[in-house]
Amino acid sequence: MAKYAFLFIDEGVDYQGSPTPEQQKVYADIFKWFETNGGRIVDGGAELQPIRTATTIRTRGDKRVVLDGPFIEAKESVGGFTIFDLESKEEAVALAKTWPGHGVEIRQVGDHMEAR
Amino acid sequence: MAQYVLMLLENEDWVQKQSRDEKERAYAPINKWWEELNTKGIVKGGEELRPKETATTVRRQNGTMKVTEGPFIESKEHVGGFIMIDVPDLDAAISIAKSWPGGDVEVRPIVVH
Repeated sequence: MAKYAFLFIDEGVDYQGSPTPEQQKVYADIFKWFETNGGRIVDGGAELQPIRTATTIRTRGDKRVVLDGPFIEAKESVGGFTIFDLESKEEAVALAKTWPGHGVEIRQVGDHMEAR
Repeated sequence: MAQYVLMLLENEDWVQKQSRDEKERAYAPINKWWEELNTKGIVKGGEELRPKETATTVRRQNGTMKVTEGPFIESKEHVGGFIMIDVPDLDAAISIAKSWPGGDVEVRPIVVH
């Protein structure tokens, strides 16, 4: 077994206004998805607030500067993450394919010594 | 108290430029920082991700889930790890992010259900 991080990828979703019925359905499906796959979760992780709430700290020369916004402006962004304990990458991909949201980036988790 | 995620960013230029020894040395201050943070009791979890070469992305395209190799975005920067912290406010989260001895950091508040 190995630990895999699922980085849930949003496509410009921002529930600042009321969610549409379509978004509500995706949300309900996501809730069910977590219930169904709860046994394989080792760390529930977090759901992140929209990218407009992001702050990025960057190093400029020897100074640290604080900037509003995410580290990259793109159509897609990280909306949350959860850690699963799974047999293989194949199982991770199969599970990710059932995700009711937009997308998942799968990354294996490990300490830096192990990873080399 | 509020919860925040610190997304620790990995810069490809840095990763390619450093030798293995230099990378190992870079971990000493990181380990020290991590221990200090842990003793303060504000860390609620965190993971280091394996390099972006291990990433696979699954995304919905025209109604079906398509699998591609690599991270979700082609960029010099990638999420290299994350830490969940419980601190009074964004200023406190930013000050912890500033003290991170690694690279740049994106701070995002967590949705509380």
